Amino acid sequence: MPIEFKKNRVIFRDVARVEEAEALLEALQKKPTAKVDLAACTHLHTANLQVLMVARPGIGSWPQDTELRTWLENALKPA
Amino acid sequence: MTALPKNPLPKNPLLEQFLSEARELLEGIGQKLMQLEDAPSDQGLINELFRMVHTLKGNSGLFTFPEMTRVLHACEDLLGKVRNGEMAFSRELADRLLDAMDFVGLLSSDIEQTESIDASRVEDSARLAESLRALMAEVSTSSASSEKRPVATETIAVSLKQIPPLAEIPEALRMEAFRRSGEGEKFHWIAYQPVPECFFQGDDPFHRARQTPGLLWGSVLPAEPLPPLAELDTYRCSVKFHLLTAAFHEELIEHFRYVPDQVEMLVIDPLWLTLSERKSEDTSNSPNGISGSVEESSREAIEKAAALTRILTAQQQTLALDDHPAWFSGRLEAVATVLKNLANSVGNTESASQIEAAFAKALASASGLPMLEWLNAHQSQFTAKPVSHSDASIDQNSAVEEVAASTTVQAADDGVKFGRRAEDNQNGPRSLKVDQAKVDRLMNLIGELIVEKNALPYLAQRAESQYGVRELSREIKGQYSVINRIADEMQDAIMQVRMMAVSIVFQRFPRLVRDTSRKLGKEVQLVLEGEQTEADKNIIEALADPLIHIVRNSLDHGLETPEVRRACGKPETGTLSIRASQQADSVVIEIIDDGKGIDPAVVKRKAYEKGLIDEAALERMSDREAVNLIFAAGLSTAAVVSDLSGRGVGMDVVRTAVEKLNGSVGVESEVGKGTSIRIALPLSMAVTQLMIIESDGQLFGVPMDHVIETVRIPRASIHRIKQSMTAVLRGRVVPLKALNSLIGITAQPKANMDDELSVLLVQAGGCVLGLLVDGFYETLGVIQKPMAGFLSNLSVWSGSALMGDGSVLMILNIREIV
Repeated sequence: MPIEFKKNRVIFRDVARVEEAEALLEALQKKPTAKVDLAACTHLHTANLQVLMVARPGIGSWPQDTELRTWLENALKPA
Repeated sequence: MTALPKNPLPKNPLLEQFLSEARELLEGIGQKLMQLEDAPSDQGLINELFRMVHTLKGNSGLFTFPEMTRVLHACEDLLGKVRNGEMAFSRELADRLLDAMDFVGLLSSDIEQTESIDASRVEDSARLAESLRALMAEVSTSSASSEKRPVATETIAVSLKQIPPLAEIPEALRMEAFRRSGEGEKFHWIAYQPVPECFFQGDDPFHRARQTPGLLWGSVLPAEPLPPLAELDTYRCSVKFHLLTAAFHEELIEHFRYVPDQVEMLVIDPLWLTLSERKSEDTSNSPNGISGSVEESSREAIEKAAALTRILTAQQQTLALDDHPAWFSGRLEAVATVLKNLANSVGNTESASQIEAAFAKALASASGLPMLEWLNAHQSQFTAKPVSHSDASIDQNSAVEEVAASTTVQAADDGVKFGRRAEDNQNGPRSLKVDQAKVDRLMNLIGELIVEKNALPYLAQRAESQYGVRELSREIKGQYSVINRIADEMQDAIMQVRMMAVSIVFQRFPRLVRDTSRKLGKEVQLVLEGEQTEADKNIIEALADPLIHIVRNSLDHGLETPEVRRACGKPETGTLSIRASQQADSVVIEIIDDGKGIDPAVVKRKAYEKGLIDEAALERMSDREAVNLIFAAGLSTAAVVSDLSGRGVGMDVVRTAVEKLNGSVGVESEVGKGTSIRIALPLSMAVTQLMIIESDGQLFGVPMDHVIETVRIPRASIHRIKQSMTAVLRGRVVPLKALNSLIGITAQPKANMDDELSVLLVQAGGCVLGLLVDGFYETLGVIQKPMAGFLSNLSVWSGSALMGDGSVLMILNIREIV
């Protein structure tokens, strides 16, 4: 699974696909304090991005992929 | 269209079929549209039209031709409205639809030549689809308004009217872009708003946005106020994207070709990049007295003027600073560059040298004053004159138009035309679809020609014997040989027209085998060979059903389940091969499996139980013959009747179908090793080889397929057993029958001088029979004509043929006689 749900962490790896958005949403609903670890993420489907934009979870680490990082920082920066 | 050499590349057969169907459908749609114009309320016509457009759309969806699908989809929606009575069919509507179909036709020829659609069509397609939809909206919103709405004269490129919110872009990036645009680079602003359902279409808008060519900057924003987390629908796309890119317009069109309706694109005026705060500024406060012209000016002109003012003010402030930092000269240079770019952007080119001079002076005096003076004196050149405003805005618009014009067909006022008219040089299709009746007619004509040609030798003979003109006779014979050759070639050519590759039938097997083996829980690998083998169309078409029966049988009864196979020491995956090849005058198809084979003992017992064979036959029968019993009616070796096979009709059907085509079928099998079924069919049914026989002074034809041999038997060797005659031939008892009695002629067969009777040994349906006739003649290739009218009820005759001397030859239906 490209998204792994740990106790208080959500870890993204490689490419997060559209099917995973549902689980992500659920996990973040259950544990709003969970930190998101994006370090190993190279892309995430719009559906996942959308969930993150709404949930605004704490970001444990930003993607190493600098281009993706710019996008995400932009989209997820505190409003 | 230029006369580019056409690509002779072998094409995807599916694509080829699509194109040929599309052409046919387009033609049909055109016709229906025109018929509808005369009878606009004919519901049947509308339904048919709708169905055709729907089919075409569906077909186009199989390939990646979004441009075509989009337009057709719009047409379909439009026709749907007409069908439901929500819209009236009008001449204008017909025009639009015909135009749309012309466009689709245009795309088809694109595809035919290059197997793809040129990127430049994307815009046309979007525009056309939009205009069709607009037509629909027009009706649904206000049919009362008489004012004709200008339909989508703008392209994607100019549809974004306001200045985009460039302020979102970080200042540094914006300035960088501004600098680069000073060097002649063009930037595009893209607002990409995916449709909410796009996830269901397998779309990932974020991915597409990230992949935008030449992307400088991008941001993702909520398209609508985002709902609270609990109410978020993860399958609904509710974000949009803003992108800044340095890519060319064409590249962007290509990149967004699947979603042109979701994208707005705009060439960025370099000035906008300098706008730090947007629209919140009250433009009427601008100090330059431009407010007088404001009323008529478009919003963008105001924005532009405000921007200019702000820039100039900023430059003035910069120059007025009288600190002297280390980067003072750099600052001056920056101001000079800004001013020069500004001057360029309003078309004021001669200012450049003046700015240069002022800059040099300022550098020399280490003070901003000379430039400030120049700026104060010449500020009017940039802003004061209303004329320069309009100049500027024209300039800006023309930049946009330039892009638009370079990639799109010029849009006319009343809609989009794709001018495909009768006088246009159209690319004709490379293959013809001809009504089979026409080919049949050709076939008949060549048949007659061959018959007529055969009359020439008779004529030559008569010229010699009756009129004694030897020279003429020879000349006629010479001419005959030439005509003969041409006629033969012509016949061959027409046969070729009717030839089709067996791949047409084979195509369906991969799917059939896959589905069936799945159902049965078997692992099967299908091997197809010789798909290019050709045979007459009728034969190929008639082959399909028998082949399906055989393949199903092999899968069901022949091949074992993986467990059984493993136990037998065979690979788990069974192999089913279907091979086609041409052997002499016939096409041979073999279906070979490596399954458990057919046990002759079981078949024999079953056949005996069913009463198909008697005890004697049971004893006498060879294994090979026994195996061929599977073709007998009513025999099934499967213990259980499944929904696939086992009803005992399958192989019988196969045999009947093959025999109808004058073919033969046989099976060979080895227990435990596998089964091979061999079907042999004539290449063409058009020409039948006949043997001509004589009986009671009349000539008859017997198809050569049935003839085994011709023998003469002394009357003394014929034995009578009750009513029937027999003779022993090569150690075999052969029943004999007089042809005369079979066809109702009372005369007795004639014997020759040695008191021998002529016997034609024929075979049909597995039995051999000797026909007593009066004499044999040559064999002849003829084109057999079926019996017409109520003569066709006479099953004794399979047809008739014309002889070279003009007489009619009746052809015996041996199967019926026996």
